[in-house]
Amino acid sequence: MNVSIIGAATTKFGELWAVSPRMLAREAVHGAMVDAGTEAREIQALFVGNMLSGILGGQEHLGAFFAEELGLTVPAFKIEGACASGGLALHNAVCSVLSGQYKTVIALGVEKMTDHRPEDVATALMGAGSEEERLAGATFPGLYALLSRVHMETYGTRPQDLAAVSVKNHYHASLNPNAQFRRLITIEQVLGSTKIADPLTLLDCSPISDGAAAVVITSGQSPKKSVSIVASTVATDTLGLAQRKSLTELRATKDAASRAYKMASVEAKDIDIAEVHDCFSIAEILALEDLGFYAKGKAAPAVSRNEVTIGKSKRLVVNPSGGLKGCGHPVGATGIKQIVELVEQLRGIAGDRQVKGAKIGLAQNVGGSGATAVVHIVCKAR
Amino acid sequence: MQSPVKIWRNQKKITTLLGKTGRIISWTIVRTPPAQFMDQAPYGVVLVELEDGMRLTAQLVDWQPKQLKIGQRVTTVVRRVTQPNADGVIPYGIKVKPI
Repeated sequence: MNVSIIGAATTKFGELWAVSPRMLAREAVHGAMVDAGTEAREIQALFVGNMLSGILGGQEHLGAFFAEELGLTVPAFKIEGACASGGLALHNAVCSVLSGQYKTVIALGVEKMTDHRPEDVATALMGAGSEEERLAGATFPGLYALLSRVHMETYGTRPQDLAAVSVKNHYHASLNPNAQFRRLITIEQVLGSTKIADPLTLLDCSPISDGAAAVVITSGQSPKKSVSIVASTVATDTLGLAQRKSLTELRATKDAASRAYKMASVEAKDIDIAEVHDCFSIAEILALEDLGFYAKGKAAPAVSRNEVTIGKSKRLVVNPSGGLKGCGHPVGATGIKQIVELVEQLRGIAGDRQVKGAKIGLAQNVGGSGATAVVHIVCKAR
Repeated sequence: MQSPVKIWRNQKKITTLLGKTGRIISWTIVRTPPAQFMDQAPYGVVLVELEDGMRLTAQLVDWQPKQLKIGQRVTTVVRRVTQPNADGVIPYGIKVKPI
């Protein structure tokens, strides 16, 4: 696959009450274009990943909205796939370049969530699930709690193992200047925090966040510092949990991953760093298993043993950015932020959180309770 | 969710699901509800496998703490889903209760 990432940038993630969606997008895109050394006239299309601007902010037509803000008059698209909107936007951007229609395009992920009441954000996010789940009042923490319970019952996964995911990701976030939460937490704090949907506590859950991230991608020859996209895959499962055959895995993740490994001619063991979709602690455990890094039931104890922590891992590091839990989860921005993190790691410019010698990175971005999964594999330009 | 037309259309589905029995295969208690369920929280939400093999996600009603467990037998019942909307239409739906 002859597609390169030549520029990448994120804004700070967090409760950014003084910052508008326009400002977020401009900062991320400007950063990515300066990084790429690309002029506006070279950009041929814009792909915007976003989930909630319509239901929360009343603003749709985001392709035109952000193109106007960025001073671009190019084909512009909004791509929506719940919390996988960012990953889907990049996938569509990659496909557009591979088609030959465009040479250089921008994939932007952006979300503004903290302007609204948590109850309203929870309602809006439930648009990602099924009608049956909405009528049951099953929030997203509730749906992942149902998955947690089955995993615990089947594999003996313990609450303290789930908590270890959040503790690790807060540690990684403490090393990331753009992260929402730069403070360390303990297992006891996670277990003792307010229950949101049993068995998940507040600190098992990623936060409500604002933020944006952008990448510039291009076909053909590219500068030395660029990163190659060697796989970009999407898989789809049923919207609702009740319609799934298995509740101990996300089939969409397994499906997207197996095709991505084949496309890139690599195996799970070749991956040095992974940015995975830890919207809830259980989601990182499911991801580590479904991506083939660990056998079923083995990921949670491994995270507890610090096997995927920066500075302690002997093999794979997971969520060096701090993940959704530590870095923040502006839903449409997350899938692009994961890619920006991989780019910085592969270039060796990730500062305090640099994973030494990282050559191949994987990003897994999930929509809903696993109805959509997007996997990208990137490597240093060869 | 609250359009009167949609509520009317959903009635047909409700009748096909009534009076069925099954078992809880997973459960949670939602303590941070969405806006329209604020008056009900905390409430139980369960995944149920019915005897005909069909699964559904539903609210649990009329339950005691000891009944909140995997394997608990339940039956489907009709209940009010949320408060009436501005048009005064009461949305009813399927919930499950322990037996």
